[in-house]
Amino acid sequence: MDLAVLPEIVFWGLYAGCIYILLAVGLNLIFGVMRVVNFAHGELMVLAIYITFFLHNILDLNPYLAFALSIISMFFVGVGIERVCFRPIMGTGKLNEIFMSLALIYLIQNSIFITCNNVDFCNDLNRIRSPLGYEEISFGFMELGADHVVIICVTISLVVMLYLFMKKTSTGKAMMATSQNREVAMLTGINVERMDMLAFGLGSSFAAAASLFWISEIPFTPYSGSINAIKAFAVIILGGLGSISGAIAGGLIYGVAENISAYLFGGGWKHATSFIILIIVLIIRPTGLFGEKEE
Amino acid sequence: MVDKKIILVSMLLLISFLGCTEQPTETTTTIKAAGEIKIGLVAPLTGGASTTGNDMQEAAELAVEEINAAGGITVGKEKMRVVLIKGDTETNPEQGVKAVTKLITEDEVDILIGGFSSAITYADQKIASENEMPFIITGASSPIVTKRDDIDTSYFFHHCPTTDDYGRDTLIFVDEVVRPAINARFNYSDDRKLRLGMLYQDGKYGEGVLEGAKKAIESEGLMIEIVAEEKFTRSETDYRTALTAIKSAGVDVVYPAAFLNEQTPIVVQGRKDIGLNTIYLSVECNDDPDYYAGVGQLGEYSIQESRFGPYVIPAGSLKAKVERFRSAFKTKWGSQPSMMGASTYEGVYIAAQAIDDADSLVNEDIRDSLNDLKMDEMIEAMQGGTIEFSEDARESKFQLYMQQLIWDDAVGETRPVIVWPDNLKEADFILPEWYESSGD
Amino acid sequence: MKHVVICTILLAALAIPYLPVAVTQFLPFKGASLLGFLILMYAFIMFASAWNLLTYSGQGSLGHAAFLGIGAYTSAIILRYLKPEPLLFNSINLEVILTVMAGGLAASIVGVFIGLTCVRLREWFLGMVTFGFAIIISTITTELRDITGGHDGLPTKHLVAATDFLSRYKMEYYIILAFTVVVIYLIHRILRSKLGLAFEAIRENELEAKVMGINTVKYKLIGFALSAFFSGIAGALMYHHIGYLTPEVFSVENSFKPIIYCIAGGLFTVEGPVLGTVIISALWDGLKSLGLMHEHLVIIGLLLIIIVIFLPKGLVSLLKKVGRKSDAKV
Repeated sequence: MDLAVLPEIVFWGLYAGCIYILLAVGLNLIFGVMRVVNFAHGELMVLAIYITFFLHNILDLNPYLAFALSIISMFFVGVGIERVCFRPIMGTGKLNEIFMSLALIYLIQNSIFITCNNVDFCNDLNRIRSPLGYEEISFGFMELGADHVVIICVTISLVVMLYLFMKKTSTGKAMMATSQNREVAMLTGINVERMDMLAFGLGSSFAAAASLFWISEIPFTPYSGSINAIKAFAVIILGGLGSISGAIAGGLIYGVAENISAYLFGGGWKHATSFIILIIVLIIRPTGLFGEKEE
Repeated sequence: MVDKKIILVSMLLLISFLGCTEQPTETTTTIKAAGEIKIGLVAPLTGGASTTGNDMQEAAELAVEEINAAGGITVGKEKMRVVLIKGDTETNPEQGVKAVTKLITEDEVDILIGGFSSAITYADQKIASENEMPFIITGASSPIVTKRDDIDTSYFFHHCPTTDDYGRDTLIFVDEVVRPAINARFNYSDDRKLRLGMLYQDGKYGEGVLEGAKKAIESEGLMIEIVAEEKFTRSETDYRTALTAIKSAGVDVVYPAAFLNEQTPIVVQGRKDIGLNTIYLSVECNDDPDYYAGVGQLGEYSIQESRFGPYVIPAGSLKAKVERFRSAFKTKWGSQPSMMGASTYEGVYIAAQAIDDADSLVNEDIRDSLNDLKMDEMIEAMQGGTIEFSEDARESKFQLYMQQLIWDDAVGETRPVIVWPDNLKEADFILPEWYESSGD
Repeated sequence: MKHVVICTILLAALAIPYLPVAVTQFLPFKGASLLGFLILMYAFIMFASAWNLLTYSGQGSLGHAAFLGIGAYTSAIILRYLKPEPLLFNSINLEVILTVMAGGLAASIVGVFIGLTCVRLREWFLGMVTFGFAIIISTITTELRDITGGHDGLPTKHLVAATDFLSRYKMEYYIILAFTVVVIYLIHRILRSKLGLAFEAIRENELEAKVMGINTVKYKLIGFALSAFFSGIAGALMYHHIGYLTPEVFSVENSFKPIIYCIAGGLFTVEGPVLGTVIISALWDGLKSLGLMHEHLVIIGLLLIIIVIFLPKGLVSLLKKVGRKSDAKV
């Protein structure tokens, strides 16, 4: 074992953590307000990738512009899904929510596949070429691809913007209040159903933001999303349901731990490692690292 | 109340127990629809590998259409049409078994072709073997499919290179061509062993390539040692840790055993993020337009093992046939055929030829005629120029070739050039300027 | 009334292998392929019912494929390495039936272990830990290649040593049908017993159940043990029928299928998982046999959404409504 490469592995682990953070923050936002976990979150991400891909190919837009538009359109897709699918089943039980998201997985994956089969520019495996190409930015101690810098900046700024939105604006405060106590929020005159739609919309936008990782380097198919959503779910369980800082900490822990374990024991243990950590943490703290104590 | 139910249940149990006693075998011979030869295609039409399944299906349909347009097959005195019946494995073994059972017992197919993913094919074979159904496997690359000992494999014919074949040919090329080039550039002695890094998919496919590579080094006495073995999970997106580990082990060449959605990020991340400036080898299934588009300039000078690709047609008698196949495929489906499609297409023709030779639709006769089969190579180069199945393992032997990706300004992508073996070679292997060796 | 329905269904199930061609020609499947479809369906009915049993005790698992796989692997490994003398009865491999039970037992031991780590966890936390165990067990299975064959997997012995394909399928059909009937009956008895009442109390309110003097830890572990046992049996039977076992058995799909079947049918009822499995799998393969590839999953996705919105208690509630109406008429 060569310790000299450890800093590099930790760095890429933190980088890999960014994708978990974006997915987990979105998932957690939805959970905080609605107490609903959307297993189809990864499929929302894939949908966002394909929206970017279609905008880029049909309108010949710059991929980053198409990406920005897809974040916006995913907000409305999210609002629609909340309104049509999740609102009618709110309060009918946790398992019904899982069931709904499994149904959405079938629906989204196969609808994309069918659409793609009938469109000329869709291949078996698709890829969007980044306009930044292979530009690199030097930071003195290491060189980093321009795309990676963009991803890190987008992740940080989106999380900061979310934080400011929650703390400074009245809508954000209302959302915080709803996630802390729905009944009280309702009594103080907050329209909680509007908050639900807003939370689901924002959460879907964050899922769209996570798709940035694919857009710059990884080929995608309609089935690219599922594992990531489940991992993101594990991240928020580790961090504590409803806690945004927990999601960030959990994302980074997973990113680093997975990469170190892959280095030490081989890549086969990557997924297992994150769940071993999860189980150990939950045995010690049944509500996760930053979770509220049980009522 | 309770007693009643217990009685009811035990009664029913008894009945079902009686039902279990051996049934007299029904000896009704199935009467086939006259004038039809049924070919069953076993492929993952839905689920995770459905894009591959789709390629297989499109190619098979084209072949069937062509055979029928040419008048079908004559069995006995009757001219028969060929019908393709599809069985969807849904990329999972339980569904695969269901699909194969349906093809054999209900659709009463005369022969099976296809089979993708070794894990699924292992299960499908159980059913095919029990029913003594000839099966031309054109998609599963594990050498075990025709060599396993838990079932009778005499009805299985393997028409696609195995992971042993890729490993051997790729490493012989490395030993013959790449190693001397490196030795010359860095003034290494001739007996220096080339340091190889393996990066393989956690699954039968990746493990098979690794084993194939090890076997080849051993049996061919190659001057190569494997200094790093890194494994990654299926559809992984982040290879940086594995590549860092490989880099720190000090390698001269990297051999990823990966699918297209994995190979692309491996090369991109290795070259761009990790600075592993070395020669990347690649298994054949990545010889696909999406790969050249995906790796872009970073794929330049990497090596692609192949038998059927989108851009290069090996010189010789095949050229006209391949071009005809390509244009027919393009006219029918509007897209390029893939490698998996090519062997499935040939599979249909092999099935048709075997039935024609057998002049019968009896399973044993078809098997025997497959054993004796000797037909001209079609759209993929075969060793000796003929498609025939080896006596011991019933494998057809492909002529594999190595391509190097060279930048083409006109298309803004790399394009492959055959650099090995000598009889197909179009240009010499180039060791790029930026290449870094691990040191002496 | 209810008994009449159950008897009719059972008699119909018993008669299926002897259906005349005049009837089967209207079905998407015939002969052995109809039996193959039903065998897997019955195995999934057992599996879904087992999942439902655990959920009845207030513990929703997202990784039940772990038990399916442990059952199958245990049974296959015992047979492969101990090579017991064949115990034939009417060409049924009785030793396989015994190892199937051993598979169930092994699954329930692992179930208790997983249950122990889960006793303090609730809802999502529990779900995620069970999901994680499925992944961890799958990784371990793959890594222990000397025993499990790694990715190559293992051949498994058939339940029946018949020489001819159709008679093997027929007999396996009856064996698995018998197992299914027994498992459903046992689950029915369990839910009606004191145990079932305790499960229900824990599910409704764990704290209250504790105050009432119910040893919640004990009952939760019993829930895990029983559910894992039935799942293990279902897995072992399924893979002895299929004949080959690879780590694909631990797939996420296999963990999610019982959830879909149970909720579509109706949670917390005995008939829910049965109804859900029958309807969804018939629809799945039926639509596909009409030539709808991919479209069939879109249709099923939409249908599931409609079911959960309009019938949040599952298809069973629809039957009950119909039943009540017809009763009112009478």
